[in-house]
Amino acid sequence: MKDRLATLGGFAVGFALLFVVWHLAAVYLVHSVLFPPPAPVFWRGLDLIEDGILQEQVVASLRRILQGFLLGSAAGIPLGLAIGSFRPVRVLLEPWTEFFRFIPAVAMITVAVIWFGIGEESKVFLIAYTTIFVIIISTAAGVGAVAKDKLRAAQCLGANRWQLFSLVALPATLPFILTGMRLAMANSFVTIVAAELVASNDGLGKMLWDARLFMQVEDIFVALVTLGLLGFATDRAFRLAIRAFAGRFNPTM
Amino acid sequence: MALVRLEGVGKTFRGKGGSWEAVRDFSLALEEGEFCCLLGTSGCGKTTVLNMLAGFEPVTAGRILLDGQPVAGPGADRGVVFQGHDSLYDWLNALDNIAFGLRLAGMGKRARREKAGHFLRLVGLAGQEGKHPAELSGGMKQRIQIARALAADPRMLLMDEPFGALDAMTRAALQGELSRIWAETKKTVLFITHDIEEAVALATRVGVMTRGPGGTLKAVVPVDLPFPRERTSDGFMAVFRQVHALIHAEIHPQ
Ligand SMILES: Nc1ncnc2c1ncn2[C@@H]1O[C@H](COP(=O)(O)OP(=O)(O)O)[C@@H](O)[C@H]1O
Ligand SMILES: [Mg+2]
Repeated sequence: MKDRLATLGGFAVGFALLFVVWHLAAVYLVHSVLFPPPAPVFWRGLDLIEDGILQEQVVASLRRILQGFLLGSAAGIPLGLAIGSFRPVRVLLEPWTEFFRFIPAVAMITVAVIWFGIGEESKVFLIAYTTIFVIIISTAAGVGAVAKDKLRAAQCLGANRWQLFSLVALPATLPFILTGMRLAMANSFVTIVAAELVASNDGLGKMLWDARLFMQVEDIFVALVTLGLLGFATDRAFRLAIRAFAGRFNPTM
Repeated sequence: MALVRLEGVGKTFRGKGGSWEAVRDFSLALEEGEFCCLLGTSGCGKTTVLNMLAGFEPVTAGRILLDGQPVAGPGADRGVVFQGHDSLYDWLNALDNIAFGLRLAGMGKRARREKAGHFLRLVGLAGQEGKHPAELSGGMKQRIQIARALAADPRMLLMDEPFGALDAMTRAALQGELSRIWAETKKTVLFITHDIEEAVALATRVGVMTRGPGGTLKAVVPVDLPFPRERTSDGFMAVFRQVHALIHAEIHPQ
């Protein structure tokens, strides 16, 4: 509990410092309408929240992230488990994962728009795309990292193949899966902004784009700060989940 | 009839860098209820012998019979206690680790926890049931491994230097408890070690191996001393010296 408070306090000071540095840089260093200090950005943010505009963009982006992320995880976890567990599957699918993971989701925006239009489908596709390979790779690596003695011990306790998988390999891999999901979530934030910048009717990326178009510098900064805070909060939530699921029995997590 | 027969067992590892003969012409019969220690220098092939008997690795020469049947893979009739702590399940607490084999056998949660509790107390871990492996000391983890293997009620226990990584005091305590547990459960034990004193303290027979490559059984020394063993007694010293002479020739070949 004391640790928790100390961490929270540390974060609060860290964030405060960030805003102070920003303020100093804007007021004393740059002197430009193109780099507003935190205060006007803050008030502009409040206005946007009062009008319900900011929430709308946040919800639009987060909904896409969540849908694509869940889709990508639902497909990626079993594929990663299969690749890690069965050599023939690995030999068959590794060219796929090794090929696609070097084509970033950002590069796929054009085809996604051609295939699915500028609606929800293309964004969900891109998020799922960016999620699935990260999760496949970390899950498969997790299966490969299961200590040989864990499997052998189960075998001399009478485990059959299914029990080896479900009661040993799977729980031993869980921390890797969760870590992969956390990385994929960070990637999803990058991808959604890029996708919405290029082709969208709403979302934080669209907000950035419109603000640039109409030279609303404060709006740009509101969107940026919102992204940073959302990403930070999501990542924290993930870390807590990892701690709750995996760290309980493994203090090194 | 002997419980286990190793007949002319050999193991040659074949890899890219050529082949390596780890064990050559190894023959030994284990009687029901005996405590046999296998003693040898590092790298002489002790683990390899145990792995073949456990069924983790196939033999490349000879055969291994358990109750007259050739060993074909690992099974619940041979419980194994591993040298490291990797084999414990980090996500399960001490009690559920011990109950793992019972769970595999389909025993209900309540019944298996009750039975596991018995073995938890047998290895002296009463009160630690809720702790996870990461929260336990090295000695406690080895106790859990022993309890976990015993709870599945195997025909025999195979132990690969289970106390090798422990400090001297913990090791001596665990040796004493293992002796007591062995007397209580009447399990057949094959216990691997490179520690002469440990072998003489625990075994009814000590098998001494030649050094590698191609380690084989050099001699088998019976230890007819009463339990609990007095390490400073004349009888103990005499056996110690006898085994020491055998192993000394392997450490310092002329
Ligand atoms: N999988 C393997 N492949 C090749 N050589 C091995 C393998 N396992 C063990 N060896 C070699 O066999 C010899 C005996 O090893 P081991 O049985 O582990 O010895 P120890 O008596 O110390 O337990 C060693 O020289 C070791 O390097
Ligand atoms: Mg060894």
